[in-house]
Formats: sequence, C-alpha cells, structure tokens
Amino acid sequence: MSDSGPEREPSARGAEMVWSIIGTLVAGVLAWGGIGWLLDRWLGTRYLVAVGILLGMAGAFYLIIKRYGSS
Amino acid sequence: MKVPTLLLAEREGFQAPGIEIFQWPDIVHLEVAGIDLSINRVVLQMFLVVLLVWGLFYFAFRRPRLVPSGLQNVMESVVDFVRGQIVLEVIGRDGLRFLPYLTTLFVFVFFGNLGGVIPPVFFPLNGRMALPAIMGICSLLLFISVGISQQGFGHYFRNALFPPGIPWPIYVLLTPIEFISTFVVRPVTLAIRLLANMIAGHLILSVFFVATGYMLGALNISSLFGVGALVFSVALIAFELFVAGLQAYVFTILSAVYIAGALEPEH
Repeated sequence: MSDSGPEREPSARGAEMVWSIIGTLVAGVLAWGGIGWLLDRWLGTRYLVAVGILLGMAGAFYLIIKRYGSS
Repeated sequence: MKVPTLLLAEREGFQAPGIEIFQWPDIVHLEVAGIDLSINRVVLQMFLVVLLVWGLFYFAFRRPRLVPSGLQNVMESVVDFVRGQIVLEVIGRDGLRFLPYLTTLFVFVFFGNLGGVIPPVFFPLNGRMALPAIMGICSLLLFISVGISQQGFGHYFRNALFPPGIPWPIYVLLTPIEFISTFVVRPVTLAIRLLANMIAGHLILSVFFVATGYMLGALNISSLFGVGALVFSVALIAFELFVAGLQAYVFTILSAVYIAGALEPEH
C-alpha cells in the first residue's frame, strides 16, 4: 500500500476534475439562469432567463479555462 | 382520444413495474406534532442497516488481536481500503482524522445499496431520497466546517467565492457561479448520483424479473425467451452488486475530494 507521496493516482484526479467541470457548468446555468428568471418575474420580461443562461455558461467556461486551462 | 388510454389500462398481459415499486404502505402510523414519523418497510430496513453496520464494527474491533482473524480481518481490510485508496490518495496524511467518517460513510452507503440485490429484501435503501440527501448534507457541513476551522471564516469563504487571479469586475459574474457550484451543486449531485443509480438499478432488476416470470409462465414460444431473460437477470444481479460498491466508493471519494479542497486553498 502506497503512502501519500507527491504522486497521486491519475484516475482519481481525473474523475475529480471531470466532476468539478460538470458541476461548474451546471452551477453557471443555475446561478445566472436563476437570476435571469427572477428578474423576468420582477420586470415582467421574458428573455432575461435566456440571457442569464448564456451569461452563466460563459462565466462557467471562463472559470474552467482559468482553472484547468494551463495544467 | 379516450379509447386508447382505456384499452391500455385494461390491457391483458405484461404490466411493467413502474416507480410505484418504491412506495411502501405504513406498518405503524405515527404522527408527532404534525410530522409524519410513520414506519414502513424502508424505515425498518434503515434500522436494520444501521444495526448491521454498528454490529460489524463493534464485533470486529471489540477485542482486537494483533494477528486479526475472521470478522476483524474483513473489517480491517475495509478500513485499509478507505485509508489507502481514498484518504491517503485524495487528501494525504492530513486527512487521516477523517478516516472514521469516510469509512462509516462507505460501509453505510454500501449496505444501503446492497439491499437491492439481497433476497428476500430486494430493495435498495438509497433508492429513496432521504438517506442520500442526509448524507450529502453531512458531507457539505463537514467540508464547510473543515474549511472554516482550517483557514478561518473570512479566508475560507473568500477563497471559495472569489477565485484568485481574476480581475475584480468579473467577480460579479463568477461569484454566484462559485457559490452555487460549491454549496449547492456539490451536495445535490452527491445525493442525486447515488439516488438515480439505485432507482435505475432497482427498476431494471424489477422489469427483468417480472418479465422473466411472465414469459416463463406463458408456456408457449416466449418461454424460450424467458430462459434467456433469466440468465440475463442473474447477470444483472452481479452488475448491481458492482454498482452498489462503485457508488459507495464514488460517494466517499467525492466527499474526500471536497474535504481536501477545504483543507488547502486553491492555488
């Protein structure tokens, strides 16, 4: 049994990264889609939820690239 | 439009089991202060699994021997597995203080799933939302408190919500995303991943076994297919056994990943 060396099993790291990326994408859509939806209800408009979802996806992509793009 | 639905409802023959197989009638009806505390089969099974997991650990380590044998041997290898493959792998030496939580989590989730393939139980406890949700919340509260105690309140939330190395106007865009992804999506996906896997597995097993019985009972040419379905059902049991272990592992390792993230701030 290997002790905690600097090398960690790549599969565990890979799975962690994949879940984190999916989580970030979902969170982006949820967060800004939710904000857009609330604004839609508040202002009586209908398009802000779509704007929010796109904005959230863009933000999530930015975050993912910033975090994993260089490694 | 009413005729087809009527025909469908009164159709003779094979009725595939649906989501109703996850609902059980109350055995003991109990209501305290407006809160439904009724006991049904699922609750009984929950008590049983708790007792079983407690008993396994208690009797394995009640009188520990230097050279383990029997139950102690088995449980030591379980602890060893969580220690080596999850804690040291994901968190490192610093994470050994979370070994008790993660081991208990692993064993409890596993036995909660195992009911799905054990006759005569044939029901996965984690196919109901209650336990996955509670365990997801437990892991959430744990990694938040680890983060706060390790990095301090302000520092932890600043790190979690404002990822470093980003020009500040973009935080307006990113902070809501980070908040949802860390404190909402994490526990929710933990719970739903487990729940959905167990629901799907239980439904597939049920459909296959009901279909096998139906085809074998028909006593015509479809009985031949029934034999094939029976063989496949047994293979599916083996597969579900694998899924039970895998999902327990995934739940535990992701909890460990979240704890590791709270221990050391992002760089």
